[in-house]
Amino acid sequence: MYLIEKENVMKIAEELAKNYELFGPVVDKGTGQVFFDRVNDSSEISLSAEIPAIPPKHVVFPQIERIMKYKYDRSAKKAEIEAILDNRSKAIFGIRPCDLTGLIVLDRFFLGQEFVDEIYREHRKRMFIVSQNCIAPFKQCFCVCTDSGPFADEGYDLNLTLLGDYYLVEAGSDKGKELVQRLGLKSADPSYAEMKKKANDKSISLFESIATDNKAWISRVMNRITTGFIKEDVWEYIGKQCFECGACTFVCPTCSCFNVEDHNRFDGTTDRLRTWDSCSFEGYTKMAGDHNPRHPVEDRRNKRFFCKLSYSQSKKYLRPGCVGCGRCQWVCPGDIGLPNVVTYIRREITE
Amino acid sequence: MDYKSGVCNFCGTGCGNYLRISDGKITGVYSSRNHPVSKGRLCVRGWHIHEWLMTDQRISSPMIKVDGSFKNVTYEEAVNFMMEKLSPYMGSSAKAIGFLGAPRWSNENNYLFMKLARSVFKTNNITLDSESGHRGSLNVLSKVTGFPAMTGSLEQIEKTKFIMVIGSDLTRINPIIGSEIHKAQMAGTKVVTLGSRKTQMAKLSNLHLQCRPGTLKLTIALIAKVAIEKGYMDKNSASSMAGFNDFASSLAAINMAEAIGSTGISLDDIDSVAKELCGSESAMAFWSTGISGADEDTVSYIANLFLIAGKVGKENCGLNSITGLANLQGGYDMGVAPDLLTGFQSYSDGAVRSKFEKAWQVQLPAEVGNDVYQLLENKNKDLKVLFVAEHDEGIVKYEKEIANLDFVVYFGSYDNPFVNHADVVFPIAALIEDDGTYTNTERRVQISQKRIQAFNGVLSVRELFSMIAAKSGVKWSYNSSEDVFKEIASLTPSYSGLSYDKLINSTGIQWPCNSEYPNGCKSFLLKSGTALSFAKVSGTFPAVNVSEAFPFLLIPGRGEYFWHQNNIMKKSYIPKREYNATLLVYPKGFIEINSEDAKKLQVREHWTVKISSDKGSMNVSVKISEDVKPGTAYVPYFIKEMITDFLLGHSDKSDMGLDATIPVRIERV
Amino acid sequence: MNNIVDGKIVTVPEIATIEEIKDEIQDVKTFYLKFDNPEVEKNFKIKSGQFVMLTVFGAGESAISLPPSPENDRFHLSVRRVGKVTDALHALQVGDKVGIRGPFGNGFPFEEIKGKNIIYVAGGIGLIPLRSSIVHALQHRNEFGRIIVLLGARTPKDLMYQYNIEEWLKIPGFECYVTVDQPTDGWTGHTGFVNSLIDKANIPVENTVAFVCGPPVMFNSVINDLMKRGLKDDCIISTLERHMKCGIGKCQHCAIGRTLVCTDGPVYTYKQIKTLGEEI
Ligand SMILES: Cc1cc2nc3c(=O)[nH]c(=O)nc-3n(C[C@H](O)[C@H](O)[C@H](O)COP(=O)(O)OP(=O)(O)OC[C@H]3O[C@@H](n4cnc5c(N)ncnc54)[C@H](O)[C@@H]3O)c2cc1C
Ligand code: SF4
Ligand code: SF4
Ligand code: SF4
Repeated sequence: MYLIEKENVMKIAEELAKNYELFGPVVDKGTGQVFFDRVNDSSEISLSAEIPAIPPKHVVFPQIERIMKYKYDRSAKKAEIEAILDNRSKAIFGIRPCDLTGLIVLDRFFLGQEFVDEIYREHRKRMFIVSQNCIAPFKQCFCVCTDSGPFADEGYDLNLTLLGDYYLVEAGSDKGKELVQRLGLKSADPSYAEMKKKANDKSISLFESIATDNKAWISRVMNRITTGFIKEDVWEYIGKQCFECGACTFVCPTCSCFNVEDHNRFDGTTDRLRTWDSCSFEGYTKMAGDHNPRHPVEDRRNKRFFCKLSYSQSKKYLRPGCVGCGRCQWVCPGDIGLPNVVTYIRREITE
Repeated sequence: MDYKSGVCNFCGTGCGNYLRISDGKITGVYSSRNHPVSKGRLCVRGWHIHEWLMTDQRISSPMIKVDGSFKNVTYEEAVNFMMEKLSPYMGSSAKAIGFLGAPRWSNENNYLFMKLARSVFKTNNITLDSESGHRGSLNVLSKVTGFPAMTGSLEQIEKTKFIMVIGSDLTRINPIIGSEIHKAQMAGTKVVTLGSRKTQMAKLSNLHLQCRPGTLKLTIALIAKVAIEKGYMDKNSASSMAGFNDFASSLAAINMAEAIGSTGISLDDIDSVAKELCGSESAMAFWSTGISGADEDTVSYIANLFLIAGKVGKENCGLNSITGLANLQGGYDMGVAPDLLTGFQSYSDGAVRSKFEKAWQVQLPAEVGNDVYQLLENKNKDLKVLFVAEHDEGIVKYEKEIANLDFVVYFGSYDNPFVNHADVVFPIAALIEDDGTYTNTERRVQISQKRIQAFNGVLSVRELFSMIAAKSGVKWSYNSSEDVFKEIASLTPSYSGLSYDKLINSTGIQWPCNSEYPNGCKSFLLKSGTALSFAKVSGTFPAVNVSEAFPFLLIPGRGEYFWHQNNIMKKSYIPKREYNATLLVYPKGFIEINSEDAKKLQVREHWTVKISSDKGSMNVSVKISEDVKPGTAYVPYFIKEMITDFLLGHSDKSDMGLDATIPVRIERV
Repeated sequence: MNNIVDGKIVTVPEIATIEEIKDEIQDVKTFYLKFDNPEVEKNFKIKSGQFVMLTVFGAGESAISLPPSPENDRFHLSVRRVGKVTDALHALQVGDKVGIRGPFGNGFPFEEIKGKNIIYVAGGIGLIPLRSSIVHALQHRNEFGRIIVLLGARTPKDLMYQYNIEEWLKIPGFECYVTVDQPTDGWTGHTGFVNSLIDKANIPVENTVAFVCGPPVMFNSVINDLMKRGLKDDCIISTLERHMKCGIGKCQHCAIGRTLVCTDGPVYTYKQIKTLGEEI
């Protein structure tokens, strides 16, 4: 445990910027929307900004990513293929615990299972992560229900907690320790552990009054979703409201479905692109000869919630797929973000 | 940060977005949370706009057609070629040259297109491609309120107490407006949908008046009739407005029992809607103005109904004509019409015309022009030359007529099969390769800024048109889109208070914006002195009688499956896939019939049936759906692959918009 | 890991040349391929029931089953024309290059079924994914009991691999029954859906496994009939098809309930299929 003065905390980002491409929360001047994106200078970062509208997912899993490039000269019968891996070193500064948990879920999915996804691994290989604990929640948050905040406990190189005039800096890796030493941060005495715990309790207690947009007590719902004991008409009620826009998938820190397309360029080469996709789309599963195993929209909807909230899927993530960020709620034209769906299912259970 | 604010260019909702631009290339899109219209939402099209914007399927060089095949040339050569070929037609006949504008182009580009037509080629034959239906709505709204656009505001949907959606499925055509209505409904607003198909919008409503096809207008008339006769109406003001007596007596002439019978809706439902609409604190009407939207007469009935209910010009009320294409409203605002100059100023008004003559330093022809579609249809074949901007596959209907023209000029950014009809092709800079403003359905003028360099060095519309003007001896001196916008503002009362300074870093301003409304105007509010008047109505309703020979009522439509199946959408991946999902299952088109009818006809899903009318017949697959009532059937005609001669033979009907119906016979084959 | 050559990135295809193209039935062609890199050609080992991801340059990538036997068979793919990638493939000629990734998928449980009777039931191009296993079983004829193939097609012209079937029929103890839905002139064989062959072949039930592959409608009714006959659900094996974009369990297009067809499948027993919790 180390300490850094509040006004000096950006020194960490500046130090990282020397060796890494830097990503952090940025406030757009036009509309005030917060993004988590690449910055040219650490001064663009606003550590205290609210939970960003876009999770840092796109840093490791871009909306469109060129994974390969090729050129086929048909007359010469010559094919050249070039694999493209993103080997930039990236530092993520100021990621919040929900999104950090999202990243851990993505790691377990892309790097675990039968195959390692090398495109993803390349993004993660040289990454430095500085997380910040939330000393107070925001309106949309419900990480307390999904066990993913408001304080982080794994997955970071450095973790920051604002305690009065100081940030408590915890190192979670050798890389992190090395950076702390390079910056010459002073050690924090053991009393800070107690202060941090208090800050955590305080933050949790604030959910009641601040985080009023969403509540989603998921445990009983997880049971139901796993066993499938949810009435058809509940799914129908939910499905009928879906506008099939895909937003819930795109904004979710743990959704990782993708499409692959070969994009022909003007210069005669072709890019193979990996792009975000969503299970809410009809064409996602539709196959030739009019076979769509998930034809009715409610089938496609319940797939997303199965993915987020079933034990069987959680086995892949080693936790529930939802990290309680609340984003799918405010982007959904149908008003059926995960918190509302959980409410509808709970309503059925209690009935 | 790589995210830059922008405006969605698909439908007329005008959702705000953020485009991600990294190293000069577009790499994604995200929604805009604090945008007053979209509030963090986008629909499937908006979420994939980057797929279209990054395409390399572009027109990369100017081309001229020599001996039937295209040759790449410089802009200079192409302009010379065009001017030479056109010289015999200049001033030859008022009907020789036509201009077809693009409802997706920016205000600046549309303004220059209109200016090019009028000041350089001396023609007033100017029409907006695709959606002439919007003009009918503008005419009615202008007549009734003096306000030539949607009178309400999308931001106020959540505040209004009663919503009537007429016909179209907003959840598909303008999804974010549909979403706003859905959310209002969940929060307690009463939503009533009128229409013959059970659309998603209908399913999300409190009440769906599922009238028989062809009786939508009649249903609206009946609600008005009941409102008057039962005394629910706004007695204080409506009855004293000009035109009330005519309207009331035309309603009185309707035989209630007979009319109820033909709509298939119960009198109780009509009564309760009339009562709730009139009694509600505020109310809004929504209808689509475009393809298969409401026609002028239907809009007149809607407007008159709301006058009777006392819901025009008040807080949180609105007569809301919804545009399906990004800048359809802006296109009309820019005077892309034979009889209009900018801001709905009448071309026939000598004072207005001389204002433009002075500003442009040219003589303008005194006569208004002709609708280009009518010129294409007319038997004399007066039209010889056509200028087309960014064709959106809407004029596929006129393919034959266009092929017979002497000379066709095409301006566009993307590869497009229409190019083959052209004799000269000019590539131009696309969205985000140039600054431009766009006016959404609720009059919100928003700026979309230049974010990337133009593809392969192509010129902007401004640069190209200036070059063409110079060739004919007219000097245009614009250094930027902003210069063009300044000129627009100086000539257009409703835009006079707008400037790039105000629009940049804002989420748009709703016109009128001028000395009276310095910050723009959210919705049309009645002030003392302004008078409302009733619109003239036809008093006639299409007969929709089925006969023994043709016992089914067929609705030809495109609303429900309208995924903006147009040229640009085909450059995307996911929206295209979603659109194909329907096509794949029914490659040769389909007809929706109710399961009851399917049983009677002894057909099953996917079986082929023959549809015949008095004009011809076609074979299509059966799609069984409870969204249509027994005795009615629905055929989508939006897909080129599905446009059979059968439907083209009935194109007079499909132009009737919401009330288009064709009596048919359906047989198993 | 399943890379063709270790150290290669699993998302990058190997280049192969089309050596021969054979017209099979309407819209289906068979492409005989050879890897350009001899090292890859040598190390390309497959299991029956697996598939590859085929790149057609300029068009995209598709999942395609492997019909060749794992031993002593030419590397080939049989592909039906249905859309962007497959159309582009059909437009290629001998000498053209394609890209191949894989093989992927679990494959049929060859060792576990030794000594048993095998029934193959295929509808239309459902024979493509079964071919590998049939040839392999025939190559090891002595290790199995009865080997029965029940084939159904819409018309006689829609019968896949007719020339192969003729060859196989020369192998002693190979039983093959063929039926068509719509007989055309000159058809002297059986008429009716493929289920009707189950009775005709008098199929064994004890110590028997059935491989079923074909369109969903056929699949469901055949399985019904097999179960009625007394076959157990864990003795009925099939390969499933889903939209697939990566082949390595990441794109999630092929998810059915909690399983991913590309890595957990495409081969499943009917017992497993029943518990997937989604329509097939
Ligand atoms: C494990 C597996 C093995 C397969 N083996 C063969 C084979 O041996 N021979 C063969 O001809 N085909 C096989 N297929 C199907 C083949 O993958 C698709 O037909 C092909 O991907 C279609 O691509 P396209 O670009 O031509 O079509 P698109 O233009 O992409 O689409 C045309 C239609 O095909 C559908 N489609 C796309 N992908 C698939 C898919 N994976 N399965 C079914 N329909 C799809 C689309 O939804 C659409 O309906 C197999 C599929 C899987 C998953
Ligand atoms: S499901 Fe919704 S609330 Fe949960 S992590 Fe995803 S976006 Fe956030
Ligand atoms: S965000 Fe809502 S409307 Fe859009 S796909 Fe997800 S659930 Fe459906
Ligand atoms: S509703 Fe219209 S403007 Fe909004 S995202 Fe969709 S297409 Fe774009």
